[in-house]
Amino acid sequence: MKASVEWLKEYSDIDVDCEKLGDILTMTGSKVEEIIEKGNDIKNVVVGKILEIKKHPNADKLVVTKVDVGTEKIQIVTGAKNIKENDIVPIAKDGAELPGGKKIVKSPLRGVDSCGMMCSVGELGLDIKDYPDQIEDGIMILPESYEKDLGKDIVDVLNLREDIIDFEITPNRPDCLSIEGLGRETAASLGKEFKNPRKNLDELKVEDKKEIEGLKVDITAPDLCYRYIARVVKNVKIGPSPEWMVRRLKACGVRSINNIVDITNYVMLELGQPMHAFDINSIEGKHITVRRAKNGEKITTLDGQERELNEDNLVIADEKKAVAIAGVMGGQNSEIEEDTKTVVFESAVFYGGSVRKTAKKVGLRTEASSRYEKGLSSENAIRAINRAVELVVELGAGEEVEGKVDVYPTKQKINKIKLDVDRINELLGTNISREEMIDILEKLDIKVENGFAIAPYFRMDLEFVADIAEEIARFYGYDKLDTTLIKAATTLGVRTKEQKIEKKIEDVLVNNGLSEIYTYGFVGEKDLEKSKIRESLIENAIEITNPLSDEYKLMRPTTIPSMMQILALNNNRKNQNVKLFDISRNYRNINGEVEKGEVPLQENILTIGMYGDDVDFYTLKGLIENVLEASNVNHYDIVKEKENSSYHPGRCANIKVGLDVIATIGEVHPEVLMNYDINKRCYLAELNISKVVKYSKQNKKYQEVPKFPAVERDIAIIVDEDVEVGAIEQAIVKKSKRLLKGKKGLEEIKLFDIYRDEKLGEGKKSIAYSLIFRDKTKSLSDDEVNPVMEEITKELEEKFGATLRK
Amino acid sequence: MKEEIEKIKENSIKEMENSQDLKTLNDVRVKYLGKKGELTLVLRGMGKLSPEERPVIGSLVNEVRDELNSLLEKKEKELNSKELQKKLETENIDVTEPSKKIALGSLHPITQIIEEVEEIFLGMGYEIADGPEVEKAIYNFDKLNTPPDHPARDVQDTFYITDDIVLRSQTSPVQARVMETKKPPIKIICPGAVYRSDSVDATHSPVFHQIEGLVVDKHISMTDLKGTLEMFAKKCLGENTKIRFRPHHFPFTEPSAEADVSCFVCGGKGCKVCKGEGWIELLGCGMVHPNVFKNCGIDPDEYTGFAFGFGVERIAMAKFGIEDMRLLFENDARFLKQF
Repeated sequence: MKASVEWLKEYSDIDVDCEKLGDILTMTGSKVEEIIEKGNDIKNVVVGKILEIKKHPNADKLVVTKVDVGTEKIQIVTGAKNIKENDIVPIAKDGAELPGGKKIVKSPLRGVDSCGMMCSVGELGLDIKDYPDQIEDGIMILPESYEKDLGKDIVDVLNLREDIIDFEITPNRPDCLSIEGLGRETAASLGKEFKNPRKNLDELKVEDKKEIEGLKVDITAPDLCYRYIARVVKNVKIGPSPEWMVRRLKACGVRSINNIVDITNYVMLELGQPMHAFDINSIEGKHITVRRAKNGEKITTLDGQERELNEDNLVIADEKKAVAIAGVMGGQNSEIEEDTKTVVFESAVFYGGSVRKTAKKVGLRTEASSRYEKGLSSENAIRAINRAVELVVELGAGEEVEGKVDVYPTKQKINKIKLDVDRINELLGTNISREEMIDILEKLDIKVENGFAIAPYFRMDLEFVADIAEEIARFYGYDKLDTTLIKAATTLGVRTKEQKIEKKIEDVLVNNGLSEIYTYGFVGEKDLEKSKIRESLIENAIEITNPLSDEYKLMRPTTIPSMMQILALNNNRKNQNVKLFDISRNYRNINGEVEKGEVPLQENILTIGMYGDDVDFYTLKGLIENVLEASNVNHYDIVKEKENSSYHPGRCANIKVGLDVIATIGEVHPEVLMNYDINKRCYLAELNISKVVKYSKQNKKYQEVPKFPAVERDIAIIVDEDVEVGAIEQAIVKKSKRLLKGKKGLEEIKLFDIYRDEKLGEGKKSIAYSLIFRDKTKSLSDDEVNPVMEEITKELEEKFGATLRK
Repeated sequence: MKEEIEKIKENSIKEMENSQDLKTLNDVRVKYLGKKGELTLVLRGMGKLSPEERPVIGSLVNEVRDELNSLLEKKEKELNSKELQKKLETENIDVTEPSKKIALGSLHPITQIIEEVEEIFLGMGYEIADGPEVEKAIYNFDKLNTPPDHPARDVQDTFYITDDIVLRSQTSPVQARVMETKKPPIKIICPGAVYRSDSVDATHSPVFHQIEGLVVDKHISMTDLKGTLEMFAKKCLGENTKIRFRPHHFPFTEPSAEADVSCFVCGGKGCKVCKGEGWIELLGCGMVHPNVFKNCGIDPDEYTGFAFGFGVERIAMAKFGIEDMRLLFENDARFLKQF
């Protein structure tokens, strides 16, 4: 909301400069967006008179002039075509400044000294539309009457100085979308008296009539229209508005159109109530009905656009057609014309939610609709219409017709709130006296009667003690509030188990050289395809009804596509050896939760993505093992996975606790790599952190450090290539357990060599283990270990067709 | 006999002194003090002496032996240290050669800010709460005093899955969920991703991160809010940081405020980051609105509370000097490694 400081002064004395005023109002809640000090950017430009025009000796298109600037006569060289001797023009003298930062200095033009510049309308930063008798590409020629002002500052002579403050008004304060509201805030903020120049409107009584000049009003949708008032002025003379009005409108960003339209805009700016004016002759049957639009009903609005409506939209209609979209914009069919003689003013209050929806539907957010959508006071509507009629008379634009047609089905409720001083002080942490509170409230026209604060009609936002507390705090001063610390029960600030594990995982990964990434939860259908996500998961994807684009249409059911995109970007930018991780969520609508209005599954997932010379499947496996160890997940199986379509079928594994898959790791499927234009092997892991938390058990117990020596044995066997070493290891462990009981046992088994050679035979590999046996109670003897080794060898021969390698 | 002993002493000392390494020295020891050493032999030959001479010679031999032993020890030390010195000289290395290490990775700037804030509030007794991102509209809006016709619910601001399910546009629904399930005292912060229908540019992203805080108990006041935020600002942005409250409006708090902090880049003098104003708009906050309490089953007559919330990206960008928000979500390894 732009407010002219000159206009505000009608409501409050202002004895501080613009900047200070802005600061003070910001601190009481009317936040200043911008301060515009018009005229300040024009310096050293004066009124001058052209005495003489001569040809330029060296240039055909230039002339040399002599100009009287009051204090002296100076020479100016110009190329202007529209000047003649004795013209009065604005002169930028040597050292002058013009809007946009342009500086004028004395300098020769084609060998002849020029001591200044004559200015055009545009060069003074003015709008040619405000000076219709001037030309755009010529010098501004001032009326002869300005000769008396020779040498005077053009800013003063043309009255260009104007201080404007642009406020950001919060949606709870539609009353401050008016000069009156801002004036009240200004007076209260500066500690001045609120002058209330429109006091007469509060006392004015206008007689209710069923009809005036034959005009009747009905509301058929009282849920959307709380009050509709019509008044009439006759013998109207459409013409321009007086300069003071044009100027105020302009300062607030509104262009002058004609006296009647200007009055509606002026009243809206002054009192915050949108107004509308119709030509009475355009209202068929002189009968206004406020009704819901018919589905598909069309209206051409004042801006010349045809708009289609539906029954959620409210219209002002005559007996045949809609003449305005309620609260949004009037129709072209009832516009005020040059020859309009009788004008109907409308001042109405509509339900804000409906105006907002309608404005959005027709794509028109107007000054009126943005006020209505915040909820306006029905009591203010009557003041506004009376003010409009008053202005018509004051401007001599027409004659008042006695009475009003006022349909007011739902009276505005006036809120009364208990002034609970203790509660307010407790809430604010202050110690403000009742008297001081009452003082503040009364400055804001909030009367206190019998211990109750009575919200004035224009403050529909005041409902609770907390609202009253805010009013008091605003004028007590937010900056005067102390800083205290909570005096409350001690609470424990600790991370949950899941949060601790997540942090530990971060540490492990960062210490292993991985960098964390942040990805969006959105994916497109194409991304899911490119990553070869399996159909069953794609079905779980959650669709956004109003996505930004197709690539952001779905909430991802898996984090793989997000990671693949980032790997692709890094590969594309030739980044070497990239190791990344992401802790974020997937989103899965598994049992139609979304359709049932329930929250769908959202799991916390660690995703790892890597490529480079120093990584392979086993690097990734080691990383995940470390992550699991750090998370205290101690028992799990690593099982080959061939069915997951995003991964290389021969190089992928699931990590399972029992039957529950807690992670999948592997090399990315070559087709996926191709889809992302990646020319190197990439590795991916997805670990479900919520499941890790479930299986995490911190149950470490001290084991006595062994006192007796161990027996170490190596065993090397040759087996077929497709025998998994994991199975061999399991067999060895199982056998040892069966043979050695009690305090004796296999303490450690370590695979230390895998070897492939033609000599072993095709499709064969040699595997070597080192086994450590120990008895915790004494030194273990060879005699005890030898039979175990024999049994193990026999088992491996039988189970895996292994041959002992000598 | 005496002369013989003196001679042995003299010779052995000379030989000891001439020894240039430990081996030669050891040879000397063996030659004189070993089992068959010259001095040992003298002792062994003592049987031949008269009973009167025996103690005299005996003590002389012992004296000499002790003396030689201590000399030997001294010489041994000397040679040891000489040899070590020699070894050390040959083992000189160039300490400026590259190290052997696993290069550390990095946490994303957003995580770094979130964890810094978490540490501060954990220290003040706050728990960290979490909730769904695909959330019920009722938690994202209705319970937070934002009824169905409220402008904040527009599709141009919020992503909708259905009329009832949205992508949360703020982390506040977590507050509502906690208030519904936990009795006061409540002290939580809720960091997390939020979604708004903004196109991607240098200062906007449809996904960004917020941290919100909530305290509910008896006798919680607005000065407590100011004190808490001041303490937070000092810990997070520097001890000299000042905080300024301005009145504002949010549907879920009353009274509401916007809090500015003195610019932590220029210290309040005015710079590019604070657009010359010396203050940076940091967060929105206020006292929990009575309607929010009612909607979440907390008696507004018994309890009061405050809430605050701010965007993480803005702080990360200002703190790390990142001018384009897109960099945070692009994840170029060369960018990530800098943090």
